[in-house]
Amino acid sequence: MVSLNAVLVISFLLFSIGIAGVLIRRNALIILMCVELMLNAANLNFIAFARHSGSASGQAFALLVMGFAAAEVAVGLALVVALYRRRDTVQVDDINLLKG
Amino acid sequence: MEHFIETIGRNMFAIFGVLALVGALIMIGARSAIHSVLGFLFAMLNIAGCFLALEAEFLGVAQILVYAGGIVVLFLFVVMLVEMSKKHEGEVFQLQSRYAVLAVAGGVALFLGVFRKAIFGAPSPESLVLRPELAKGLDVAHQNAQAVSRGLFADYLLPFEILSVILLVALVGAVVLAKTERV
Repeated sequence: MVSLNAVLVISFLLFSIGIAGVLIRRNALIILMCVELMLNAANLNFIAFARHSGSASGQAFALLVMGFAAAEVAVGLALVVALYRRRDTVQVDDINLLKG
Repeated sequence: MEHFIETIGRNMFAIFGVLALVGALIMIGARSAIHSVLGFLFAMLNIAGCFLALEAEFLGVAQILVYAGGIVVLFLFVVMLVEMSKKHEGEVFQLQSRYAVLAVAGGVALFLGVFRKAIFGAPSPESLVLRPELAKGLDVAHQNAQAVSRGLFADYLLPFEILSVILLVALVGAVVLAKTERV
């Protein structure tokens, strides 16, 4: 059987990699992918705790999170495409309208 | 040989988890966006494997359908559309990367503080087994889809409906954001 600690450690590492990607990369697409990775790490925890408590609520909620992630990706990618049309770049360093 | 296969079967979750970590590292380390998307795909497929190892069959298959079937294809199309740009990343990591690395290290240290007991302490005596008194007459392990649907359509009906509204708003928003000006 899988121990709860193993799941927690794996999901913690996935979440950390996601945070590192968001902070370090400068390509907007890759930042979006890292956000997805963090949502998946949370999902992994939901499922592990659902399994631990023996109820299906966590799994149902993980399904809701999955739908939410899909909606977020659709809007985020539309934003990236609109940005590319307007400014011809997807590098977040080049987008400094608020810099003053 | 049989012993070997048995060992692999018992450690399925760890194998898929480590492979997912490898995919995630490829994702944030790759220089070109296409390679990043492929690393993302690899990580998502292995997370689906993790779900299967945790006996959440319905969610594992849904993960493959939603991520590998939908989101990765969406990402690939946008990469195709966008990567023809003249400007490319000069270097993969940001100039303020030092501060980013510091922030990441601080965050990891905080998490380690929280999970200290889970990681360094004694392994939890109880593994992830179903507690039968909580399953309420429904075998979550063997009737996974039924159990999830009971959770989704009985206990969490309102969040489910709200999610459908969110999806509708996202659909309209994506069309509005991505359409050209002359319409």
